[in-house]
Amino acid sequence: MKKTCIFQDTEKTENTTDLLEVAERIYGQGQFESHAVLLADSFDPLMGSFHHIIRVAKGLVDCYDPQGICDILENLHKKNRFDSILIPGTSLGEMIAPRLAKRLQTGLVAGVTDIKRAGDHTEIIRPAFSGKILEGVLHTGNGPVMMSIRPNAFEYKPGDPLQTVVSAYTEPVSSPSAVTRLHVKENRQTCDIRDSEVLIAGGGGVKESFSELYRLADALKGTVAASRKLVDQGIAPRSIQVGQSGKTVSPKLYMALGIHGSMQHMAGLRHIASLISINTAVNAPICSLSDIVVHGDAREFIDRLMKKIALYRS
Amino acid sequence: MKIICVVKIVPDVDSIVCDVENNILTGNAARMMLNPDDACALAFALGVKAGDPDCFVEVVSMGPMSVRPHMEDLLRLAVDRGTLISDPMFEGSDTLVTSAVLGRYIATRPFDCLLTGSHSLDGGTAHVPVQLAETLGLDQMLGIIRIDPHQFDSTRAVFEVEDEKTVTTYEMEMPCVLSVTRQSGYKLPYVSLSDMRRDVSDELVIITNQDLGFSETEVGPTGSRTKVVNRYPKTYAKKDRHIVGNDEEGISYVFNFLKQKGFL
Repeated sequence: MKKTCIFQDTEKTENTTDLLEVAERIYGQGQFESHAVLLADSFDPLMGSFHHIIRVAKGLVDCYDPQGICDILENLHKKNRFDSILIPGTSLGEMIAPRLAKRLQTGLVAGVTDIKRAGDHTEIIRPAFSGKILEGVLHTGNGPVMMSIRPNAFEYKPGDPLQTVVSAYTEPVSSPSAVTRLHVKENRQTCDIRDSEVLIAGGGGVKESFSELYRLADALKGTVAASRKLVDQGIAPRSIQVGQSGKTVSPKLYMALGIHGSMQHMAGLRHIASLISINTAVNAPICSLSDIVVHGDAREFIDRLMKKIALYRS
Repeated sequence: MKIICVVKIVPDVDSIVCDVENNILTGNAARMMLNPDDACALAFALGVKAGDPDCFVEVVSMGPMSVRPHMEDLLRLAVDRGTLISDPMFEGSDTLVTSAVLGRYIATRPFDCLLTGSHSLDGGTAHVPVQLAETLGLDQMLGIIRIDPHQFDSTRAVFEVEDEKTVTTYEMEMPCVLSVTRQSGYKLPYVSLSDMRRDVSDELVIITNQDLGFSETEVGPTGSRTKVVNRYPKTYAKKDRHIVGNDEEGISYVFNFLKQKGFL
């Protein structure tokens, strides 16, 4: 029986189970033993999905200390000899995974979006060159196989509930980081674009009228998103960027206003049920993925559609 | 204060052509550039130096000799020392090996702080800054959007990191590795005309494996633990798009679509 270790998604604990899908794709359903390592107090959403839940005792390590967390994972690996260690590609995970790989002298594949099985080989798929192409990577050497997983790239559908064994990790951390958190300030954007079913996204074509998108988003109970172009120009915050260097989204409706649709932007579109693009160029790449292409200016489109919606609602 | 900036010269991704049939990237033909995140890190270091003439800034990069002109361009800024680690033996090294090579050189140099970019344009893994820190036994932070210049000295640094929902301010003890993102907006100064004409070809320090002494099995593809075996183009399922005008008829079509799908 193969053993896989999955570190908690510290941004959304319930998403930790999605990494089980990765393990299933490597080893096959029911062919592995899963160990989840959690810093969080609440582990209810993970009960029944993992064979083992290892809770790190309170006060042992700061939740922002990659060195300390690495110590714990390294220790757990020495005891359990995992075949694979999967880490969510969150900002914390991105600092833990390479460090742990270095300590264990093993290879690490970052930002994994797919797994392909070919005979005995597991080919690990990740986007490279800003999402222009996909790379298939083989893990060589003795392992463990280590990956960081791109958030939202895998979705796990729970099977029959397991008898989860919960244990506590209490060994003191030997090398904590010399880092202190001074203060935390909430970001302007409170709604995560990955949670929204309706996304009103703007690109270079709406840089003059980006604020108009919020009106339409309000009317459709959606959230505003942006392409890299607007983020790089400082018009939109990084937290709402869709694409390879931004977020992967799967909304029911994606409205692309003035978005050209570069490879790097499309890399962030996963499961989109309906796509409407509004563009002055009907042959822009994004238009070929669209259900409807509105040929014209985005600002005029918003005005006209808003009028129509207002009329309907009154 | 002594700062080492670790940078990478990367292909401009927009100019890369992927030859899928032969599984090669025609990256050699691509335009090369200083990785944007790394440029921000260097820009911050040069800003510190501008306010403190005693500050010493070294730029270190690992890459093929073909990136030499790009490294020389950096020497035309106010950089005190430029070092290119280059040896055919190192070609094809993964991040684990790269960080070991960089680490072995940097361990021989004096520094209070290592500054790097967070992500590279080509690989985009952000492994090297983290693994370099681990190699040197240092603390490290990714995703820095601002470093407080008034609280940045040989004892500690105070800086801001942005993630999903928050902007967090941290204080970290030196020496450490700080990795900056493009969002910091730090910009490199322009090169003056006289510097542009300056011959700097003697100034760049070239370090090879003769200086570092790795065995052949430790570096390059044999020393690496990951191997890229395939490259796939990205494909998307095309839809039967319906093109409408931005007029009454077109708006009605969109409106009815939204209504039918339950978005209104």
